[in-house]
Amino acid sequence: MNRFWLLPISLAPLLGATSTIVQALAISLCTILLVGLHQSLMTPLHRHLEQAPRLWTSTVLAAALAICLHLGLQAWAMPLAKQLGLYTLLLALPCLASEQLPAQPGRYRHLGLGLLGLLAAGLALGICRQLLADGLGLHLAALAPGALILLGLLLGLYNHLRPSNTASRRQGTR
Amino acid sequence: MTARWRSTAMLLVVAGLAIAATLTWQRFTARPIAEASRQWQEQQWLKVLPPGSYDNRPLQTPVPLTGAKLSHSHLLAGYRASQAGVTSAVLLHSRVQGYGGAIELVIAIAPQGRLVGVRVLEQQESPGLGDQLVDPARHWLDQFIGRTLRDTPELAWAIKRDQGAFDQLAGATVTSRAVIEAIQDALRYFDQHRPELLGETPP
Repeated sequence: MNRFWLLPISLAPLLGATSTIVQALAISLCTILLVGLHQSLMTPLHRHLEQAPRLWTSTVLAAALAICLHLGLQAWAMPLAKQLGLYTLLLALPCLASEQLPAQPGRYRHLGLGLLGLLAAGLALGICRQLLADGLGLHLAALAPGALILLGLLLGLYNHLRPSNTASRRQGTR
Repeated sequence: MTARWRSTAMLLVVAGLAIAATLTWQRFTARPIAEASRQWQEQQWLKVLPPGSYDNRPLQTPVPLTGAKLSHSHLLAGYRASQAGVTSAVLLHSRVQGYGGAIELVIAIAPQGRLVGVRVLEQQESPGLGDQLVDPARHWLDQFIGRTLRDTPELAWAIKRDQGAFDQLAGATVTSRAVIEAIQDALRYFDQHRPELLGETPP
């Protein structure tokens, strides 16, 4: 598995655990917390580690943090932990993905923007899924495949609406 | 070479620390998790009773069961819910073989032999078919509420395809039959063992 796979796979918690607004908010905040902790632990270690050991260290730390979060949620927020299921453990994947950001000036700004984008996407997805499933009785929206379709639609809408001066280079001519 | 060794040593130290911290955290949270999951389980169980219909902690007052192997299902445990000292319902924990595995139900029966509620605790039925059993939007189990063995004759405890009185879950005949048989079994057991279950001394 190379690093390009990490980002799509990191979508699994976002798709699986956003069927209600509460769930979406919880999983997004957990992602931000975990990625933040992981980064704050990895940054001081960077100087001392070469490429291959760094990857291993990052993996071990991500796994340990995800397990601790999972246990903590079970201990003090059982109903939430039951709703999120095993998806909190999969939050180790966004940690690994964020570790792949190159060390360049503005790295943390990019990371922060990415996490905020994730929060926004998660909330939008949660709101849409809850509305469609509970309000309109569209059962598909409550299931994970429905989440993937909705996320595609939401991203398409975003790409369509966002200012074209940043988009045109990547989207070709209209 | 030294840089590489230092790197590897660092990795080992970090991994050791991470594992130690995780294990410590696991020990630290073990007791709260056990307590929280017990509470969670109790909440799941008691959703079968209408709110306000009991004031004891039903799961703390188990009832001994005799002859718990019924014709289609198996009773695992029984509990008594009471209000102001009077038994308001008996909870029976029933296990029946479904399509994909065992289905575990909690069945609440009022002292007159009337079904108060049914809830699924565990199931491994086919997604989209048998697991409509636990779909909160379906309310399939609600059609049994209020039934007794007297108002519904023996042979009518079946799905309509089997000349019975009840709707079935579309595409899940085996699951529907299993659940109906388990409920009928539990009601029959209640009628046969009513004095023991209610804690009355036989005359």
